[in-house]
Formats: sequence, C-alpha cells, structure tokens
Amino acid sequence: MNSGVWEEVGCAKLWNEWCRTTDTIHLSPTEAFCVFYHLKSSPSVFLCQCSCYVAEDQQYQWLEKVFGSCPRKNMQITILTCRHVTDYKTSESTGCLPSPFLKALKTQNFRDPVCCSLLEQPNIVHDLPAAVLSYCQVWKIPAVLYLCYTDVMKLDLITVEAFKPILSSRSLKGLVKNVPQSTETLKKLMTTNEIQSNIYT
Amino acid sequence: MFVPCGESVPDLMGFTLLMPAVSVGNVGQFAIDLIISTLNMSKIGYFYTDCLVPMVGNNPYATAEENSTELSINTEVYSLPSRKLVALQLRSIFIKYKSKPFCEKLLSWVKSSSFARVIVLSSSHSYHRNDLQLRSTPFRYLLTPSMQKSVQNKIKSLNWEEMEKSPCIPEINDSEFCIRIPGGGITKALYDESCSKEIQMAVLLKFVSEGDNIPDALGLVEYLNEWLQIIKPCSDEPTASALRWKIPSSWRLLFGSGLPPALF
Repeated sequence: MNSGVWEEVGCAKLWNEWCRTTDTIHLSPTEAFCVFYHLKSSPSVFLCQCSCYVAEDQQYQWLEKVFGSCPRKNMQITILTCRHVTDYKTSESTGCLPSPFLKALKTQNFRDPVCCSLLEQPNIVHDLPAAVLSYCQVWKIPAVLYLCYTDVMKLDLITVEAFKPILSSRSLKGLVKNVPQSTETLKKLMTTNEIQSNIYT
Repeated sequence: MFVPCGESVPDLMGFTLLMPAVSVGNVGQFAIDLIISTLNMSKIGYFYTDCLVPMVGNNPYATAEENSTELSINTEVYSLPSRKLVALQLRSIFIKYKSKPFCEKLLSWVKSSSFARVIVLSSSHSYHRNDLQLRSTPFRYLLTPSMQKSVQNKIKSLNWEEMEKSPCIPEINDSEFCIRIPGGGITKALYDESCSKEIQMAVLLKFVSEGDNIPDALGLVEYLNEWLQIIKPCSDEPTASALRWKIPSSWRLLFGSGLPPALF
C-alpha cells in the first residue's frame, strides 16, 4: 500500500459504539469507514482496508453493499486478520505457543495452495472475516482467510512480519515489490506508531 | 434462505426435519451434533440469513485428515436420504431482534419444502420447575394439534410426560395458565407459529442447568431415539448409551485450552 500504486475508489461508512474517531473536533457519527482502493495498473484488483469494527448486526448489510453488485464469477478473495493468542484453543497452554503464528481457512472452491497450516477444530473465527468467508462459501466464491494469532495488543513489527509468507502466494505476489526490503519498509512504518504510543514523553 | 451445496435443490418432500433451539446449556445443538456425527449425515446446503452471528471453522465432524478441511458456517443442513431425515444445525446465537424473522423464514422453508414434520430439540431452565416437575422425569414433549393427530398413540405408548402449563405471570395468583419454556430460546415462538400455521411439529426438551451439558445431550438423543429409533435401542444400562453415539471431534477443549504449568 505504501508503494503509491493504489487509488482510492470508494468507502463504506458505518458507525457503532465501538468506533473511535481520531478527529475530536468534528465528532461525526459516520466517520468510521472501510476504504476501497484499486490497483492503477490493473483496476480489477481491489483492496479494502477496514479500520473500524463492523458490528454483528451490520455485517450482513456490509456484505450486501460491497458484494451485492459484484459479479460472483471469476472473483477471488483474500482476507487478513489478527486475533489474540489466548483465543486459540489447544491442549497445551497458550503461553507455550510460538506466537505470532499464522493459520488459514479456505472455501470449498479455493484451489490454490495455502501458505500455512489450516485452522484446526475446535477453533473458529467470528466477526467480519467470518461473515465474508461465510458469504464466499455459500455462493461458491474462492476465498482464503489468513489469521495471525499474536500475543500483543498493539501493532508491532513481529506480528506484521508473520504475514510475510502470504506475500509469495499466487494472488499476492504480483502486487508486492521488493520483498527483501520489506523489513526495512515495515520498520519505518512501525517507528512512527511507537513514538505516538509512549505515554511518558 | 436455503442454498444447496450442489447445483440443484434436493427433494425433501416427506422428510423429517430435526433442528435445535439455541437454549440453556446448548443441549439441542449438542444433540443435533451427535445425530449428524453418529449417522454420518452429508451436508446438503446452508440456511443463509442475516439472523445469526456469523462464524466459520473447519469440519466439526472430521474423522480423518482428508475430511477435516471442509469449511463450515453457522447454519448448515445435513441429510440422510435412506432414513428420510434432514438435520439443521445452528452454531451461533441470534442477532438482536432477528429471532422472530428467523422463525418466519424457517417455517416458510418448512412449508415450501413439504417436510412431513419438524422435531425441535430444546431445553429449559431446571430451576423454574415446580414441585411436581422436580419429582418427575426431566424430559418433556409438546405436539402441535396437527402432529397430535398422527403420533398421539405412539407417544402415549412411550409413557412420556407432556409439558405442563404454568402461570403466565407467576407473581400474580389468579394468572392464566399457558405453556412457558424459560431458557428455551425460540422454542415457544416456533411452537406457537407452527400451531397457527398447522405445521406438524414436536418439541422434545430436557430441564437442565448450565454446566457440562454433554450428559444432558446424550439423554435428549436417547429420549428422541425411544420414538424415532434412529439407532438400535439399548439395554437399560446408562453407560452403554454414551458409547453408541459418536462424539464429534469439535467437542474437544469445551472448557478452554490446557493450563499453564507455572500455575501449579
């Protein structure tokens, strides 16, 4: 996204009690949104960055708005999301797990190889990622969900790097430049965030 | 709406629909899991609505590596054509204000598919029992009027207890009596709607408390089995019944992950 080849084409605005606007002067209830971009060189490639929580009673309408007018044929969807590692059910203690780690779920029609192991039962996924994947499963759209289990509450370099294996997947490898330099690029993006989060300065 | 897995909608005319109510202890849902798992029922479609909280996971009835990677969603439909059985499984809770629309959509599908009958597996809070109920079996049944005509004799021969009416407003002494199913989720709504729409429906429920509800689920499927004979009836030995029903692989870790060794 940092490469400048994406163009904003739309957004889905919604508001619920979980939304926190950064603009405290103009407290508009419709500030929270998901932004859609397309690749300038290949406009059939879309990216959605969802920076708000989509409540359970908004998810179905979100799907209808976003996918309602899209042709279901020849569409493939990749979903990236994170959960805290304590959500992961295993017979060992979650403290022993090598987090962050990646797990995947895919619909019946997704034929490409996945970049990590599949999410084992009895683990499940909720919220918007589950709503999107359910929609894709029901309407036979190839889709894959990559879920990173992490033990931190805030964004950090190690958690983001856990997603690196998917950059070489069939659907994403054409979109990513300079994979060897990605660590340096990520470090620059992370540093800005960390300074703002220090409450002692 | 019902969306088939395959290209065409299967013919379900004359089938028996088994379904859970999302109720106290999730007993109905556990019971449906046991039925689908034991009978090795095949998934035939989804009941896709905006009424239940979305969730996804891999095949909850997986028995081997090969069949563990099929995705499952929150409302799925399974069938066993040889026994003319269809099972609807609900795996999450209702979104606020959506339980009534769900009942309407479901019963509309029941009518349009021409199911012979619907059996709802449910539960009710055990602490709401009156003195008589405390001293009797924890299982109860309810039949809609159109169902009574066809199965009354069979039910009578089983010596089952019908769900008793209780005061509509318990705090008022001379309150009218009606059927109340506290903790039963949509059970009462489904039953009332089916009565007015003349749908053949039976409700089978158990009085339970929240906790480890697996024994309650085993009890409820055995209760159902007395009538439908889904699997061969067993002797009176209670432990034998637990072995006849196949516990799904998704029932692992029902009470959370392993404990950190440092705790001790």
